[in-house]
Amino acid sequence: MYDVVIVGGGIIGVSLALKLAEQGLGRVLLIERSYLGSGSTFRCAGGIRASFTSKEHIVLMKRSIELWGELRERLGIKYARSGYLWLASREEDLERIKGYMRIHHMFGLDTRLVDEDFVKQVAPYVDTSGMAGALFDPLAGKADPFDSVYKQFLAAKKLGAEFLIGKEVARVIIEGGVARGVEVDGGKLPARGVVVAAGAYSVHLLDRSGVKIPLTPVPHHAALTEDFERLFDPLIIDVASGAYAVQTFDGHVLMGVDVEEAPFGELGVRLAFLEKVVTVWSRWLKWLPGVNILRYWPGYYEMTPDHHPILGPVAGVENLYVATGFSGHGFMMAPVVAEEMASWIASGRPKSREAGNLVISRFEEGRAIKELAVIG
Amino acid sequence: MCERVTVEDVERAIDMGFRDLESLRRYLRIGMGPCQGRYCIPIALGILSRRLGVPIEKLGYVTVRPPLEPVPGKLFLRGAKDV
Repeated sequence: MYDVVIVGGGIIGVSLALKLAEQGLGRVLLIERSYLGSGSTFRCAGGIRASFTSKEHIVLMKRSIELWGELRERLGIKYARSGYLWLASREEDLERIKGYMRIHHMFGLDTRLVDEDFVKQVAPYVDTSGMAGALFDPLAGKADPFDSVYKQFLAAKKLGAEFLIGKEVARVIIEGGVARGVEVDGGKLPARGVVVAAGAYSVHLLDRSGVKIPLTPVPHHAALTEDFERLFDPLIIDVASGAYAVQTFDGHVLMGVDVEEAPFGELGVRLAFLEKVVTVWSRWLKWLPGVNILRYWPGYYEMTPDHHPILGPVAGVENLYVATGFSGHGFMMAPVVAEEMASWIASGRPKSREAGNLVISRFEEGRAIKELAVIG
Repeated sequence: MCERVTVEDVERAIDMGFRDLESLRRYLRIGMGPCQGRYCIPIALGILSRRLGVPIEKLGYVTVRPPLEPVPGKLFLRGAKDV
Protein backbone atom coordinates (compact mmCIF):
# COMPACT_ATOMS: atom_id res chain seq x y z
CA MET A 1 0.00 0.00 0.00
CA TYR A 2 1.39 3.39 -1.05
CA ASP A 3 0.56 6.54 0.86
CA VAL A 4 0.67 8.65 -2.29
CA VAL A 5 0.79 7.67 -5.96
CA ILE A 6 1.68 10.51 -8.33
CA VAL A 7 0.69 10.00 -11.98
CA GLY A 8 3.03 11.94 -14.29
CA GLY A 9 6.81 12.37 -14.24
CA GLY A 10 7.03 15.96 -15.44
CA ILE A 11 8.35 18.82 -13.36
CA ILE A 12 5.16 18.94 -11.26
CA GLY A 13 5.17 15.25 -10.35
CA VAL A 14 8.92 15.09 -9.71
CA SER A 15 8.89 18.28 -7.57
CA LEU A 16 5.99 16.88 -5.54
CA ALA A 17 7.70 13.49 -5.10
CA LEU A 18 10.72 15.29 -3.65
CA LYS A 19 8.59 17.50 -1.40
CA LEU A 20 6.62 14.54 -0.01
CA ALA A 21 9.82 12.54 0.52
CA GLU A 22 11.42 15.46 2.34
CA GLN A 23 8.42 15.81 4.62
CA GLY A 24 8.41 12.07 5.32
CA LEU A 25 4.80 11.71 4.23
CA GLY A 26 5.03 7.95 3.88
CA ARG A 27 5.62 5.70 0.90
CA VAL A 28 5.53 7.67 -2.36
CA LEU A 29 5.42 6.24 -5.89
CA LEU A 30 5.64 8.27 -9.09
CA ILE A 31 4.48 6.62 -12.32
CA GLU A 32 5.60 7.94 -15.72
CA ARG A 33 4.36 6.34 -18.94
CA SER A 34 7.32 7.36 -21.12
CA TYR A 35 10.47 8.98 -19.69
CA LEU A 36 10.74 11.75 -17.07
CA GLY A 37 9.97 15.16 -18.56
CA SER A 38 8.69 13.66 -21.81
CA GLY A 39 5.34 15.48 -21.86
CA SER A 40 5.51 19.27 -21.79
CA THR A 41 8.37 19.87 -19.33
CA PHE A 42 11.27 19.09 -21.65
CA ARG A 43 9.61 21.01 -24.47
CA CYS A 44 9.27 24.25 -22.51
CA ALA A 45 11.44 27.37 -22.52
CA GLY A 46 12.21 27.37 -18.80
CA GLY A 47 11.12 30.99 -18.21
CA ILE A 48 10.15 31.97 -14.64
CA ARG A 49 8.28 35.17 -13.68
CA ALA A 50 5.75 36.59 -11.25
CA SER A 51 4.79 39.44 -13.57
CA PHE A 52 1.29 38.21 -14.42
CA THR A 53 -2.03 40.05 -14.32
CA SER A 54 -4.02 38.06 -11.73
CA LYS A 55 -3.56 37.98 -7.97
CA GLU A 56 -3.40 34.18 -7.92
CA HIS A 57 -0.59 33.99 -10.47
CA ILE A 58 1.38 36.84 -8.92
CA VAL A 59 1.16 35.66 -5.29
CA LEU A 60 1.94 32.01 -6.11
CA MET A 61 4.77 32.87 -8.48
CA LYS A 62 6.42 35.21 -5.97
CA ARG A 63 6.62 32.26 -3.58
CA SER A 64 7.74 29.94 -6.39
CA ILE A 65 10.63 32.28 -7.21
CA GLU A 66 11.79 32.15 -3.56
CA LEU A 67 11.67 28.37 -3.77
CA TRP A 68 13.59 28.32 -7.08
CA GLY A 69 16.35 30.21 -5.27
CA GLU A 70 16.36 27.57 -2.53
CA LEU A 71 16.51 24.75 -5.11
CA ARG A 72 19.58 26.37 -6.64
CA GLU A 73 21.23 26.62 -3.20
CA ARG A 74 20.31 23.13 -2.02
CA LEU A 75 20.55 21.02 -5.17
CA GLY A 76 22.66 23.16 -7.47
CA ILE A 77 19.88 23.42 -10.04
CA LYS A 78 20.72 25.73 -12.95
CA TYR A 79 18.52 28.74 -12.21
CA ALA A 80 19.29 32.40 -12.87
CA ARG A 81 17.37 35.52 -11.87
CA SER A 82 18.23 37.06 -15.22
CA GLY A 83 14.97 38.94 -15.84
CA TYR A 84 12.29 39.24 -18.48
CA LEU A 85 12.41 42.03 -21.04
CA TRP A 86 9.31 43.05 -23.03
CA LEU A 87 10.32 44.80 -26.25
CA ALA A 88 7.83 47.26 -27.76
CA SER A 89 8.26 48.33 -31.36
CA ARG A 90 5.09 50.44 -31.65
CA GLU A 91 3.46 53.09 -29.47
CA GLU A 92 0.43 50.86 -28.86
CA ASP A 93 2.71 48.10 -27.54
CA LEU A 94 4.40 50.59 -25.24
CA GLU A 95 0.98 51.57 -23.87
CA ARG A 96 0.20 47.92 -23.30
CA ILE A 97 3.35 47.21 -21.27
CA LYS A 98 2.68 50.36 -19.22
CA GLY A 99 -0.69 48.80 -18.35
CA TYR A 100 1.04 45.58 -17.28
CA MET A 101 3.43 47.59 -15.14
CA ARG A 102 0.62 49.34 -13.25
CA ILE A 103 -0.80 45.96 -12.22
CA HIS A 104 2.63 44.65 -11.23
CA HIS A 105 3.17 47.69 -9.00
CA MET A 106 -0.17 47.09 -7.25
CA PHE A 107 1.28 43.76 -6.06
CA GLY A 108 4.73 45.03 -5.18
CA LEU A 109 6.46 43.74 -8.29
CA ASP A 110 9.31 45.99 -9.25
CA THR A 111 8.96 46.00 -13.06
CA ARG A 112 10.14 49.19 -14.75
CA LEU A 113 10.43 50.87 -18.12
CA VAL A 114 14.01 50.83 -19.39
CA ASP A 115 15.88 52.69 -22.13
CA GLU A 116 18.18 51.61 -24.94
CA ASP A 117 21.33 51.89 -22.83
CA PHE A 118 19.92 49.48 -20.27
CA VAL A 119 18.82 47.02 -22.96
CA LYS A 120 22.31 47.11 -24.49
CA GLN A 121 23.81 46.16 -21.11
CA VAL A 122 21.61 43.16 -20.36
CA ALA A 123 21.08 42.15 -24.00
CA PRO A 124 24.13 43.21 -26.04
CA TYR A 125 23.08 41.24 -29.13
CA VAL A 126 19.55 42.65 -29.33
CA ASP A 127 19.17 45.42 -31.91
CA THR A 128 17.39 48.40 -30.35
CA SER A 129 17.03 50.57 -33.48
CA GLY A 130 13.33 49.69 -33.82
CA MET A 131 12.56 49.96 -30.10
CA ALA A 132 9.80 52.29 -28.92
CA GLY A 133 10.25 51.21 -25.31
CA ALA A 134 10.83 48.21 -23.06
CA LEU A 135 9.67 46.80 -19.72
CA PHE A 136 12.08 44.91 -17.47
CA ASP A 137 11.23 42.49 -14.66
CA PRO A 138 14.35 41.93 -12.51
CA LEU A 139 12.70 39.25 -10.33
CA ALA A 140 12.03 36.97 -13.33
CA GLY A 141 14.51 34.46 -14.69
CA LYS A 142 15.03 31.01 -16.15
CA ALA A 143 15.95 27.46 -15.14
CA ASP A 144 17.17 24.45 -17.10
CA PRO A 145 14.26 21.97 -17.46
CA PHE A 146 16.51 18.88 -17.75
CA ASP A 147 18.62 19.84 -14.74
CA SER A 148 15.53 20.77 -12.69
CA VAL A 149 13.87 17.40 -13.26
CA TYR A 150 16.98 15.25 -12.92
CA LYS A 151 18.41 16.81 -9.75
CA GLN A 152 15.03 16.64 -8.00
CA PHE A 153 14.54 13.06 -9.25
CA LEU A 154 17.92 11.98 -7.86
CA ALA A 155 17.28 13.79 -4.56
CA ALA A 156 13.80 12.24 -4.21
CA LYS A 157 15.14 8.76 -4.99
CA LYS A 158 17.82 9.19 -2.35
CA LEU A 159 15.11 10.02 0.21
CA GLY A 160 13.21 6.85 -0.64
CA ALA A 161 10.63 8.01 -3.19
CA GLU A 162 9.95 5.25 -5.73
CA PHE A 163 9.72 5.68 -9.50
CA LEU A 164 7.95 3.43 -11.99
CA ILE A 165 9.03 4.58 -15.44
CA GLY A 166 7.72 3.32 -18.77
CA LYS A 167 4.36 2.15 -17.41
CA GLU A 168 1.05 3.79 -18.27
CA VAL A 169 -1.72 4.24 -15.73
CA ALA A 170 -4.91 2.88 -17.31
CA ARG A 171 -7.16 4.63 -14.81
CA VAL A 172 -7.51 5.87 -11.28
CA ILE A 173 -9.51 3.31 -9.32
CA ILE A 174 -12.49 5.09 -7.76
CA GLU A 175 -14.92 3.09 -5.62
CA GLY A 176 -17.80 4.59 -3.70
CA GLY A 177 -16.53 8.11 -4.32
CA VAL A 178 -13.06 7.33 -2.93
CA ALA A 179 -9.81 6.98 -4.91
CA ARG A 180 -8.25 3.65 -3.94
CA GLY A 181 -5.19 3.51 -6.18
CA VAL A 182 -4.35 3.11 -9.85
CA GLU A 183 -4.54 0.38 -12.47
CA VAL A 184 -1.27 -0.45 -14.25
CA ASP A 185 -0.70 -3.41 -16.60
CA GLY A 186 -4.06 -4.88 -15.61
CA GLY A 187 -3.05 -4.94 -11.93
CA LYS A 188 -4.03 -2.69 -9.07
CA LEU A 189 -1.62 -0.53 -7.11
CA PRO A 190 -3.48 0.48 -3.95
CA ALA A 191 -2.85 3.92 -2.48
CA ARG A 192 -4.27 6.18 0.23
CA GLY A 193 -4.03 9.18 -2.09
CA VAL A 194 -3.68 9.67 -5.85
CA VAL A 195 -2.34 12.84 -7.48
CA VAL A 196 -2.91 13.34 -11.21
CA ALA A 197 -0.12 15.54 -12.57
CA ALA A 198 -0.12 14.27 -16.13
CA GLY A 199 -0.26 17.64 -17.90
CA ALA A 200 -2.14 17.54 -21.19
CA TYR A 201 -2.74 13.80 -20.74
CA SER A 202 -4.60 14.36 -17.46
CA VAL A 203 -7.84 14.97 -19.35
CA HIS A 204 -7.74 11.53 -21.00
CA LEU A 205 -6.66 9.73 -17.83
CA LEU A 206 -9.38 11.37 -15.72
CA ASP A 207 -11.94 10.71 -18.44
CA ARG A 208 -11.04 6.98 -18.35
CA SER A 209 -11.49 7.17 -14.56
CA GLY A 210 -14.94 8.75 -14.80
CA VAL A 211 -13.91 12.28 -13.77
CA LYS A 212 -14.55 15.31 -16.00
CA ILE A 213 -12.04 18.15 -16.07
CA PRO A 214 -12.20 21.30 -18.23
CA LEU A 215 -8.83 20.90 -19.92
CA THR A 216 -7.95 21.45 -23.57
CA PRO A 217 -4.49 20.53 -24.90
CA VAL A 218 -3.36 22.97 -27.63
CA PRO A 219 -0.13 22.43 -29.61
CA HIS A 220 2.61 25.06 -29.40
CA HIS A 221 5.99 25.13 -31.11
CA ALA A 222 9.60 25.94 -30.27
CA ALA A 223 12.88 26.03 -32.20
CA LEU A 224 16.50 26.09 -31.11
CA THR A 225 19.60 27.62 -32.74
CA GLU A 226 23.20 26.47 -32.45
CA ASP A 227 25.02 27.60 -29.29
CA PHE A 228 26.87 30.86 -28.67
CA GLU A 229 28.62 32.82 -25.92
CA ARG A 230 26.53 35.39 -24.04
CA LEU A 231 23.98 37.06 -26.34
CA PHE A 232 21.27 38.30 -23.94
CA ASP A 233 20.55 37.51 -20.29
CA PRO A 234 16.78 38.07 -19.89
CA LEU A 235 14.05 36.13 -21.62
CA ILE A 236 12.88 38.56 -24.30
CA ILE A 237 9.34 39.05 -25.58
CA ASP A 238 8.25 40.86 -28.74
CA VAL A 239 5.09 42.53 -27.46
CA ALA A 240 3.51 42.95 -30.91
CA SER A 241 3.52 39.22 -31.74
CA GLY A 242 3.89 37.65 -28.28
CA ALA A 243 7.00 35.79 -29.51
CA TYR A 244 9.61 34.90 -26.87
CA ALA A 245 13.29 33.97 -27.02
CA VAL A 246 15.65 32.81 -24.29
CA GLN A 247 19.32 31.89 -24.34
CA THR A 248 19.59 28.54 -22.57
CA PHE A 249 22.27 27.63 -20.04
CA ASP A 250 24.04 25.80 -22.86
CA GLY A 251 24.10 28.91 -25.06
CA HIS A 252 21.39 27.97 -27.57
CA VAL A 253 18.62 30.41 -28.44
CA LEU A 254 15.19 28.85 -27.85
CA MET A 255 12.34 30.69 -29.59
CA GLY A 256 8.57 30.35 -29.75
CA VAL A 257 5.55 32.14 -31.15
CA ASP A 258 1.86 31.30 -31.49
CA VAL A 259 0.55 29.91 -34.75
CA GLU A 260 -3.02 28.85 -35.32
CA GLU A 261 -3.69 25.41 -33.84
CA ALA A 262 -6.84 23.42 -33.16
CA PRO A 263 -7.74 22.28 -29.63
CA PHE A 264 -6.72 18.62 -29.13
CA GLY A 265 -4.64 18.92 -32.35
CA GLU A 266 -1.90 16.39 -33.10
CA LEU A 267 1.67 17.42 -32.34
CA GLY A 268 2.98 18.02 -35.87
CA VAL A 269 5.55 20.10 -37.72
CA ARG A 270 4.39 23.49 -39.11
CA LEU A 271 6.60 25.24 -41.61
CA ALA A 272 4.50 28.35 -40.92
CA PHE A 273 5.84 28.34 -37.35
CA LEU A 274 9.49 28.41 -38.42
CA GLU A 275 8.75 31.17 -40.90
CA LYS A 276 6.93 33.29 -38.34
CA VAL A 277 9.39 32.83 -35.49
CA VAL A 278 12.47 33.53 -37.63
CA THR A 279 10.84 36.52 -39.33
CA VAL A 280 9.66 38.10 -36.07
CA TRP A 281 12.94 37.61 -34.23
CA SER A 282 15.11 38.73 -37.17
CA ARG A 283 13.85 42.27 -36.47
CA TRP A 284 15.45 42.26 -33.00
CA LEU A 285 18.18 39.67 -33.57
CA LYS A 286 19.72 40.88 -36.84
CA TRP A 287 22.18 37.95 -36.91
CA LEU A 288 19.46 35.27 -36.76
CA PRO A 289 19.15 34.70 -40.56
CA GLY A 290 22.84 33.76 -40.65
CA VAL A 291 22.85 31.20 -37.83
CA ASN A 292 21.77 27.57 -37.90
CA ILE A 293 18.48 26.21 -36.63
CA LEU A 294 19.32 22.90 -34.91
CA ARG A 295 16.00 21.52 -33.74
CA TYR A 296 12.29 22.21 -33.82
CA TRP A 297 9.58 20.50 -31.76
CA PRO A 298 5.92 20.85 -30.78
CA GLY A 299 4.44 20.44 -27.31
CA TYR A 300 1.13 20.96 -25.54
CA TYR A 301 -0.16 23.82 -23.42
CA GLU A 302 -2.99 22.29 -21.38
CA MET A 303 -5.48 25.15 -21.28
CA THR A 304 -8.26 25.74 -18.75
CA PRO A 305 -11.21 28.11 -19.32
CA ASP A 306 -9.59 30.87 -17.20
CA HIS A 307 -5.98 30.00 -18.15
CA HIS A 308 -5.12 29.23 -14.53
CA PRO A 309 -4.11 25.82 -13.14
CA ILE A 310 -6.39 23.34 -11.43
CA LEU A 311 -4.95 22.36 -8.04
CA GLY A 312 -5.90 20.38 -4.99
CA PRO A 313 -8.68 17.95 -4.13
CA VAL A 314 -11.39 16.98 -6.62
CA ALA A 315 -14.86 17.69 -5.26
CA GLY A 316 -16.88 14.46 -4.96
CA VAL A 317 -13.91 12.07 -5.04
CA GLU A 318 -12.15 11.60 -1.75
CA ASN A 319 -8.34 11.19 -1.78
CA LEU A 320 -8.05 12.28 -5.43
CA TYR A 321 -5.94 15.37 -6.14
CA VAL A 322 -5.02 17.14 -9.36
CA ALA A 323 -2.22 19.52 -10.34
CA THR A 324 -2.62 20.30 -14.00
CA GLY A 325 -4.09 22.86 -16.42
CA PHE A 326 -1.12 25.21 -16.18
CA SER A 327 -1.95 26.75 -19.55
CA GLY A 328 1.71 27.17 -20.48
CA HIS A 329 3.11 28.14 -17.05
CA GLY A 330 3.60 24.82 -15.25
CA PHE A 331 7.37 24.66 -15.23
CA MET A 332 7.81 27.96 -13.41
CA MET A 333 5.06 27.16 -10.89
CA ALA A 334 6.33 23.68 -9.96
CA PRO A 335 8.07 24.53 -6.66
CA VAL A 336 5.08 26.37 -5.18
CA VAL A 337 2.66 23.77 -6.53
CA ALA A 338 4.66 21.01 -4.81
CA GLU A 339 4.49 22.95 -1.56
CA GLU A 340 0.74 23.58 -1.84
CA MET A 341 -0.10 20.02 -2.88
CA ALA A 342 1.98 18.59 -0.02
CA SER A 343 0.05 20.84 2.38
CA TRP A 344 -3.29 19.64 0.99
CA ILE A 345 -2.21 16.00 1.26
CA ALA A 346 -0.78 16.35 4.79
CA SER A 347 -3.35 18.65 6.38
CA GLY A 348 -6.33 18.83 4.03
CA ARG A 349 -5.70 22.54 3.48
CA PRO A 350 -3.65 24.62 1.05
CA LYS A 351 -0.91 26.85 2.41
CA SER A 352 -2.23 30.00 0.75
CA ARG A 353 -5.68 31.40 -0.01
CA GLU A 354 -4.64 31.95 -3.63
CA ALA A 355 -3.92 28.23 -4.15
CA GLY A 356 -7.29 27.47 -2.55
CA ASN A 357 -8.94 29.62 -5.21
CA LEU A 358 -7.66 27.25 -7.90
CA VAL A 359 -9.63 24.11 -7.00
CA ILE A 360 -11.60 22.45 -9.80
CA SER A 361 -14.98 23.30 -8.22
CA ARG A 362 -14.41 27.01 -9.04
CA PHE A 363 -15.76 26.46 -12.55
CA GLU A 364 -19.10 25.04 -11.41
CA GLU A 365 -19.43 27.55 -8.61
CA GLY A 366 -18.86 30.56 -10.86
CA ARG A 367 -15.54 31.44 -9.23
CA ALA A 368 -13.30 31.26 -12.29
CA ILE A 369 -10.22 33.44 -11.88
CA LYS A 370 -10.51 36.96 -13.26
CA GLU A 371 -7.63 38.93 -14.66
CA LEU A 372 -7.23 42.26 -12.82
CA ALA A 373 -7.53 44.18 -16.04
CA VAL A 374 -8.03 43.37 -19.66
CA ILE A 375 -5.07 44.86 -21.42
CA GLY A 376 -4.93 45.56 -25.14
CA MET B 1 32.39 13.57 -28.61
CA CYS B 2 31.68 17.30 -29.01
CA GLU B 3 29.86 17.40 -25.65
CA ARG B 4 32.88 15.61 -24.03
CA VAL B 5 30.94 12.67 -22.64
CA THR B 6 32.95 9.56 -21.73
CA VAL B 7 31.94 5.88 -21.68
CA GLU B 8 32.35 6.02 -17.91
CA ASP B 9 29.89 8.95 -17.73
CA VAL B 10 27.33 6.91 -19.66
CA GLU B 11 27.78 3.81 -17.50
CA ARG B 12 27.54 5.82 -14.27
CA ALA B 13 24.36 7.58 -15.47
CA ILE B 14 22.76 4.22 -16.33
CA ASP B 15 23.53 2.99 -12.83
CA MET B 16 22.01 6.19 -11.34
CA GLY B 17 18.68 5.36 -12.98
CA PHE B 18 18.85 6.93 -16.45
CA ARG B 19 17.93 3.70 -18.19
CA ASP B 20 16.65 4.88 -21.58
CA LEU B 21 18.30 6.73 -24.44
CA GLU B 22 16.06 9.84 -24.25
CA SER B 23 16.99 10.38 -20.59
CA LEU B 24 20.70 9.63 -21.09
CA ARG B 25 20.75 12.10 -23.94
CA ARG B 26 19.28 14.88 -21.83
CA TYR B 27 21.21 14.08 -18.66
CA LEU B 28 24.57 13.94 -20.41
CA ARG B 29 23.80 16.03 -23.54
CA ILE B 30 24.73 13.17 -25.90
CA GLY B 31 23.50 14.07 -29.38
CA MET B 32 22.87 17.74 -28.62
CA GLY B 33 25.87 18.99 -30.64
CA PRO B 34 26.01 20.15 -34.28
CA CYS B 35 25.67 16.68 -35.87
CA GLN B 36 22.57 15.98 -33.75
CA GLY B 37 23.83 12.64 -32.50
CA ARG B 38 24.62 10.87 -35.72
CA TYR B 39 27.88 9.56 -34.25
CA CYS B 40 27.41 9.37 -30.51
CA ILE B 41 23.83 8.11 -30.19
CA PRO B 42 24.60 4.71 -31.79
CA ILE B 43 27.65 4.39 -29.51
CA ALA B 44 25.55 5.25 -26.44
CA LEU B 45 22.95 2.74 -27.60
CA GLY B 46 25.62 0.01 -27.62
CA ILE B 47 26.75 0.88 -24.09
CA LEU B 48 23.15 0.92 -22.82
CA SER B 49 22.45 -2.44 -24.45
CA ARG B 50 25.52 -4.02 -22.83
CA ARG B 51 24.86 -2.52 -19.42
CA LEU B 52 21.19 -3.51 -19.28
CA GLY B 53 21.65 -6.83 -21.07
CA VAL B 54 18.89 -5.87 -23.51
CA PRO B 55 19.37 -6.33 -27.29
CA ILE B 56 19.82 -3.04 -29.19
CA GLU B 57 16.76 -3.63 -31.37
CA LYS B 58 14.56 -3.68 -28.26
CA LEU B 59 15.82 -0.35 -26.92
CA GLY B 60 14.48 1.92 -29.67
CA TYR B 61 16.03 5.08 -31.06
CA VAL B 62 15.64 8.68 -29.91
CA THR B 63 13.06 10.97 -31.50
CA VAL B 64 14.69 12.71 -34.45
CA ARG B 65 13.65 16.37 -34.62
CA PRO B 66 13.55 18.40 -37.84
CA PRO B 67 15.46 19.85 -39.59
CA LEU B 68 17.51 16.72 -40.27
CA GLU B 69 20.61 18.86 -40.63
CA PRO B 70 21.22 22.32 -39.17
CA VAL B 71 19.97 24.93 -41.66
CA PRO B 72 20.46 28.70 -41.61
CA GLY B 73 17.59 30.81 -40.30
CA LYS B 74 17.39 32.78 -43.55
CA LEU B 75 15.73 29.82 -45.29
CA PHE B 76 12.64 30.63 -43.22
CA LEU B 77 12.81 34.41 -43.46
CA ARG B 78 9.74 35.94 -45.08
CA GLY B 79 8.50 39.44 -45.79
CA ALA B 80 6.77 40.87 -42.72
CA LYS B 81 3.41 40.75 -44.53
CA ASP B 82 3.71 37.04 -45.28
CA VAL B 83 3.65 35.79 -41.70
